[in-house]
Amino acid sequence: MIKLKGITKTYYRGKVETPVLLGIDLHVRPGEFLAIMGPSGSGKSTLLHILGLLDRPSGGSYLLDGSETSTLNDDELARLRNAKLGFVFQAFHLLPKSTALDNVLLPFTYAGHFPQDAAHRARHALARVGLEHRLHHRPGEMSGGECQRVAIARALVNDPEVIFADEPTGNLDQRSSLEVISILQGLNAEGRTIVLVTHDTAVGCMCRRLVRLIYGRVDSDEIIAEPTQAMRQLQTLMEAAK
Amino acid sequence: MSLAWRLLKAALSSLWAFRSYAALMMIGLIIGIASLTVIHQIGQGAQQQVAARMASMGFGADAFYISSGGGRLGVRRGMKRAVTLTPVDAASISRLDGVAQVVPHKNVARTQVTAGSNHTNTRVRGAPPGWAAARNWSMLHGRFISRADIGQSARVAVVGTTVVRELYGGANPVGRRLRIGRTPFIVVGVLESKGSSGWRDRDDIILVPLSTATKRLSRDDKISGMRVTMTDASRVEEIKGEVTAVLRENHSLGPGVPDDFLIITPDELMKLITRQSRSLVVMLTFVSAVSLFVSGVVIMNIMLVAVSERAYEIGVRRAVGARRRDILYQILMESLMVAAAGGVCGLLLGILLSYLATLLLGIPTAFSPSGFLWALGFSAAVGLFFGVAPAKKAAGLHPVEALR
Repeated sequence: MIKLKGITKTYYRGKVETPVLLGIDLHVRPGEFLAIMGPSGSGKSTLLHILGLLDRPSGGSYLLDGSETSTLNDDELARLRNAKLGFVFQAFHLLPKSTALDNVLLPFTYAGHFPQDAAHRARHALARVGLEHRLHHRPGEMSGGECQRVAIARALVNDPEVIFADEPTGNLDQRSSLEVISILQGLNAEGRTIVLVTHDTAVGCMCRRLVRLIYGRVDSDEIIAEPTQAMRQLQTLMEAAK
Repeated sequence: MSLAWRLLKAALSSLWAFRSYAALMMIGLIIGIASLTVIHQIGQGAQQQVAARMASMGFGADAFYISSGGGRLGVRRGMKRAVTLTPVDAASISRLDGVAQVVPHKNVARTQVTAGSNHTNTRVRGAPPGWAAARNWSMLHGRFISRADIGQSARVAVVGTTVVRELYGGANPVGRRLRIGRTPFIVVGVLESKGSSGWRDRDDIILVPLSTATKRLSRDDKISGMRVTMTDASRVEEIKGEVTAVLRENHSLGPGVPDDFLIITPDELMKLITRQSRSLVVMLTFVSAVSLFVSGVVIMNIMLVAVSERAYEIGVRRAVGARRRDILYQILMESLMVAAAGGVCGLLLGILLSYLATLLLGIPTAFSPSGFLWALGFSAAVGLFFGVAPAKKAAGLHPVEALR
C-alpha cells in the first residue's frame, strides 16, 4: 500500500541546512496499525506529514498504491488526500463555529462533487465513533475526547485507505485517550489501515507494529504480538472509579 | 445541497464567526457607498426636476430658444443683456423650412403695478396669442391675448395667480383695472398656477399683447427672445445653423464679429443647470472615493490578520483535500460578500439619507435602479480587488506550517 524508499527531508532556513530525515525505508501493508515513535527531533512528525502527502520529501521515492507521488503537483496531492487519506490531529483542528455534522461533511466540500448521501454518510461516521447524539453540537460544547472523536469521524467519512493520526491523545486525559485508541483499534479490526505518531509508549503498545525513529533513521521496527486492548483498560479504569 | 451552495454557506458561516471583523470591514464601505448613493440620488433628482420644469415650459426636444444679446450660456447670467432681436428676425425665422412655430416675447423692465390702493412689483411680458399654448399655460379665468388684441395693441392684461393675490386679495379680477406704470389696463384673464419650482415664482407675471409691450410700454420694437419649434426634432442642429446665418445677416454681423444673440437648446440648458451642482458632486465623489479606497485597505488588512488567525482552519481544509485555488476562492468569496453586504447597507443608508434630505432640506432626490446596481457593483469590485492579497496569502500557506 505504502512504500517508502530512501526518503530524505532537509529544511533550509536561510543558509542553514537542517536534515531531518536521513533515508527512511518503510513498507506499510493494508490493514496494519502502525505506531511511529521517537524522541522529539527524531523526525516522526515530518515523516507523518510526508506520508500524509502534506509535505514533499527532499529525496527518495514514495509509492502510494503502486504509483509514485513525489512527482505529483499540488492539486493532484490535494485530490489524493481527499480521496484516499484521513487525518486526525493532536489539537483536533475542528472548525469552531461549525457543528459536528458540518465538520464531518468538510471533506465532501472538496470532493469535486457533493455526494447525494453525504449527510447519511456523515451521520454514519459520527455513529461509528459513538456521537450520534452530538450531531448539532459545536466543538465548544463538547469535551476534548468528543472533539477528537468528531475528528476521527471526519477522517473516516470519505472511506479512506489510510488514516493518519498525529499525537491523537496528546491533548486528552487518560480516559478520553483510551476511548479514542479503542475506536482506532476497532477501525483497525475492521481492516482499516492506521498510521499513528506518538511519544507515549502506552499508546505505542496499543498498535500492532511499532517503528522507532532516532535522528532521522529507522532505529527499530517490531511487530507487537499482543497489543494492549484499550477497551479492556477503559473497563478497568471505569471499575476502579466506582 | 449543491457544492456552490455549500461554499456560499461556508463563506457565510466564516463571516458570522468573524462578525466583529466583518463589521469593522464594512464601516468604511458603508460610508463610501452611502455618500455615493446620496450624490447619485441628488443628481437624479435635480435632472428630473429640470426635465419636469422644461417640459412644463413646453421646452421639448423639438424646440430651442433664442435670446437677445451674445455671450455664452451660463457665463453672462445676471449681466444686463442688449436687446437685439427684432420682429423682422422672427418673421425671417418663421419662413425657414422645417420651422413650425416662432413665439417671440418682450420683457418689459420690472414695473410698479397698481390696482386700486394695492400695488406690487412684477414681471411684465409682451406675448403673442400662441404663447400660452406653446408654454403649456392654461387659463383659470377669462381668456388669453387674442389676435385682435395684437392688431389694436389693446391695453388688456392676463395675470398670474401671485399677482391676483397681491392686487385683488385672491378675488377673480377679470374685468377689473390695473395700471402698469401709468398706463391703464383691463384684466381679461387669469393664468392657472404653475407654482414656484426652480428659482422663481412663475405665477408672479403679467402678460400683455406683444404689440402693446413694444408700442405702449417701451420705446423700441425689439424683442427679448423667441421660442422656435421645429417640425422634426432631428433637424434641431441643422435649423440652429440656418437661424444663426439668418440672424447674422439680418444684424449685418461681419466675419469675426461675435453673435449678438444666443441659441439655447434643451440639451445645453440641461447641462448648464446640472453643471451648477457639479462642484458639490465632485467634492462628494472625491470623499466617497477616498473612503472606498480606505475601506478597501482596511478590508485587506483585517483579512490578512484573519488569515493568520485562521491558519489552522486553512491547514485543515488543505489536509482534507482543498486545493490552493479552493482556499483562494473561499477567501475571495468572503471579502466579496463582506463588501457586497457593506454595499447593500451603504445603499440603504444612502436611500434613507436622501429621503431625509428631501424631507428636511427640500432637496429633490430620485431613486434609480441603475444606481443600485452601480453601488453593488462598485463595492463588489472593492471587495474583489482588496481580497486578492489576503486570498493569495491564505492559498500560499503551506499545510504543515498552517497546522502548526
